[in-house]
Amino acid sequence: MIRSIAWKNVWRNRKRSLIVITAVMLGTTAGVFTSGLMQGWVDQRIDAAIFTEVSHIKLYHPDFLNNEEIGKTIPKEKSVTGFLDKHPGIKAYSKHIKLMVMASTSRGNTALMLNGIDVKKEKQVSRLYMQLLPGEGTYFEKDGSFPIVISDKTAEQLRIKSYQLDVVVLDSLKREGFPESVIVKLMALDKIRFNTKNQIEKKVTKLLTRKEISRYGGRIVKTSEHYRLRSKIVFTFTDKSGELVNQTFRVCGVFKTTNTMFDQMNAFVLQKDLAQVAGLLPDEFHEISMLLNDGYKPEQVRKDIRKAFPEISALTWKELVPDAGLMSEYMTLYYYIIMGFILFALAFGIVNTMLMAILERTKEIGMLMAIGMNRNRVFNMIMLETVFLTTVGAVAGMGLGWLVIEITGHTGINFSGVAEGLEAVGWSAVVYPSITASFFFGVTLMVVATGILSSIAPARKALNLNPVDALRSDN
Amino acid sequence: MNVIEIKDLVKIYDNTAVQVTAVDHVDLTIEKGEFTAIVGPSGSGKTTLLNMIGGLDQPTSGNIHVDGVDITKLKSKQLIDFRLNNIGFVFQSYNLIPVLTAGENVSFILEMQGAPKVEIESRTKEILTEVGLGDRINSRPNQLSGGQQQRVAVARAMASKPKFIIADEPTANLDSKATAKLLDMMEELNRKEHITFLFSTHDQRVMNKAHRILVLEDGRIVKDEKMGVDATKE
Repeated sequence: MIRSIAWKNVWRNRKRSLIVITAVMLGTTAGVFTSGLMQGWVDQRIDAAIFTEVSHIKLYHPDFLNNEEIGKTIPKEKSVTGFLDKHPGIKAYSKHIKLMVMASTSRGNTALMLNGIDVKKEKQVSRLYMQLLPGEGTYFEKDGSFPIVISDKTAEQLRIKSYQLDVVVLDSLKREGFPESVIVKLMALDKIRFNTKNQIEKKVTKLLTRKEISRYGGRIVKTSEHYRLRSKIVFTFTDKSGELVNQTFRVCGVFKTTNTMFDQMNAFVLQKDLAQVAGLLPDEFHEISMLLNDGYKPEQVRKDIRKAFPEISALTWKELVPDAGLMSEYMTLYYYIIMGFILFALAFGIVNTMLMAILERTKEIGMLMAIGMNRNRVFNMIMLETVFLTTVGAVAGMGLGWLVIEITGHTGINFSGVAEGLEAVGWSAVVYPSITASFFFGVTLMVVATGILSSIAPARKALNLNPVDALRSDN
Repeated sequence: MNVIEIKDLVKIYDNTAVQVTAVDHVDLTIEKGEFTAIVGPSGSGKTTLLNMIGGLDQPTSGNIHVDGVDITKLKSKQLIDFRLNNIGFVFQSYNLIPVLTAGENVSFILEMQGAPKVEIESRTKEILTEVGLGDRINSRPNQLSGGQQQRVAVARAMASKPKFIIADEPTANLDSKATAKLLDMMEELNRKEHITFLFSTHDQRVMNKAHRILVLEDGRIVKDEKMGVDATKE
C-alpha cells in the first residue's frame, strides 16, 4: 500500500511532477548521449589502434625501439614464429622489416618509417588495406617494380597530391547538384594545377560568394584532390652494411586513416623489395605484429611470450598507444563522473519539489502519523515517492538517450569542421556513438541512489512534524 | 468495564510569555460502549483533552490508562503502535487520503496492522456497507460529498475494531441532513458493535444524541451528565 500511495502521490500534482520528470529525462539523455559519444570515439580509437596501427602485441629486439638500428632484428626468429604458430591465443601474425628513411620527390621531402610487409599475412593483422582512398590506386594488387603505398598526408608533404578543377571534376560536381552559376565561376580555374590546399582555397574564395563558399567550398576542394599515382619517390637510407643507399619506389596506392600522426610517419612496401635493398636475410625482421583470438588477453599472451623468450621485447597495444590504453581503462569512470554531476545538479530540483510536496501535505502527513503510521513507513513513503519521481524521468531519459545513440550509431556524427584537429591526435572525425548495457545498469543504480539521497531532507522534514500541530495546519 | 481512566490530568502550555493551563486536574472514567460528548466553549480544552487521550499529546502531569495501559509512560514508537491498534480517529475535516479510493482509505489501516489480505477485503466491504457506502468502495474522496467522506472516515476509524474512537468535532463541516445521517450511523455502530465513542462538539444536535455529556470550562469538567442524569451531582 505504501508503494501504491507513493506512486499515486507522484501524480497528485501532475504538472509539477512532469516538469521535474522532464528535467531528469533531459539531464539523463544528455549524460547518456555524451557518454555514448565518448564511448564511440574511444571504441573507434581503440579499434583503429589495434586493427590498423599496432595490433594486439608487437615483438622487437630489446634495443630496436631505442635507436631503430637496422641490425637489431628479432633474435631466434624461427623459434619465435614456431612458438607463435602453436600458441592457441594467437589468431594471426605478420613480420615486418622497418627502416627509417628520407623520402624525396622533385617537389618535397620528408622522413618516413618504411614498413616491409608480406601482403597476404599483413591483411590478416591490419585493416589498412581497407583504408585506401577510393579510386586512388591499390594495395599492391598490380604488378610493378618497387611499389609503395603512402598516406594522403605523405602525398601532401611530397607534393604528389595536387588540386585541379578540370572538366571531369566539374562534371562530377554538376552531378552532385552544384548550381550552374557556381560551375560557371569555377570554370575559370580549368587546367590550373594547385600544389597545396591553401592555394586552391584562396582562388576559390576569390571566385565565389561567402554563402557559396560556406555551402560548397569544402566539397569543391575535396573533389579537386588528385594524386599522381606511379609517381617516383626516392628513398635514402643506410643498409645493413652501413652503406648509404638510394632506391626509387613508385606510388601504387594512397591510404588515409583517422590518425594523422600514424599517416605521416608510415609507408608500406613489399618485404622482398625492402629486404633486397637493405641487405637483410630472409629470416631477419624488426617487428612481429599479432592479433589474438577472442577471449585471450594481451597481457596473458605477452607473459607466455616473455616466459619463452626473455630476450625479446613484447609490448601490448596499451603500451604502444598509451592514450588509447588509458582511455580504455578509465573512460567508464569518466562517464559515471559526468552522470554523477548531472544527477547531483538535478537532485536540487528534486529535493525542492519534494519539500514543496511535503509542505502541501502537512495536514495529511499529520493525520497519517496520528492514525498510527510509524516513522519508518513515513520515511519509506517519501523515499519511494522521490525514487519514483527520479526513476520515471531517468528511465525515459535512458530510453531517449539509447534511441539517439542507436540512430546516430548508424548514421554517425560528422565533426568535419574540426576534423584536422581531431585526426591530429588520432580521433576520428566521424563518430558512431555506442553504449554498453552495463553502463545503463550503473546509471540505474546511480539514479536510485540519487532518489534515496534526495529524499532524506524532505523525509526529515516530514518526520519532524508533530501530528497535533500538523493537523491544525491549513495545508 | 472502564476503557479509559484519567487521573489528575494537567496540561500547561508554557512556551509563551503567559502560562496557559489547557487541562486543569481532570479526573475521568469512560466505560466500554459509551457514546460521550465533550462540550464547552472555544479554548475550554476539549481538543487538548482528546489529543492526550488519543496519545497525540503528552500531559504535563497525571495519568491516562487505556485498557489498563498507562499511555503517558509509553515511548513515542510504542505510542504510535498503540494508536494504530487501539484508537480510531475521526477528524473535523475528514482527512482522507485523496489519492486512495474509499475502500483503500479503509483497508490502509488494516494493512498497516498486518492483517491478512482476505480479511482486509471482507472487513473493508463489511464496514463500508455498514456506513451505507458499500456501493462507493471505488470512489475517490473528491467524488464523495462531505457527509459521505466523513462516513468513510468513521469506517476507517472503526475498521480495526479499536477500543474507542475519538472524534474531534466530526459534524463541524456538515449540513444538518448529513449530520443527522452521520449521527444515526455512529449511534447504530455504537449499539451494534459496542464501540466506545468520545467526541468533542459545539453542535446541539450531537449533544442531543450523546448518552453522556461532559462540559468543560477553563480546562475543568464542570458538568458530567449521563442520559439526562447529572453525574457530577450524584
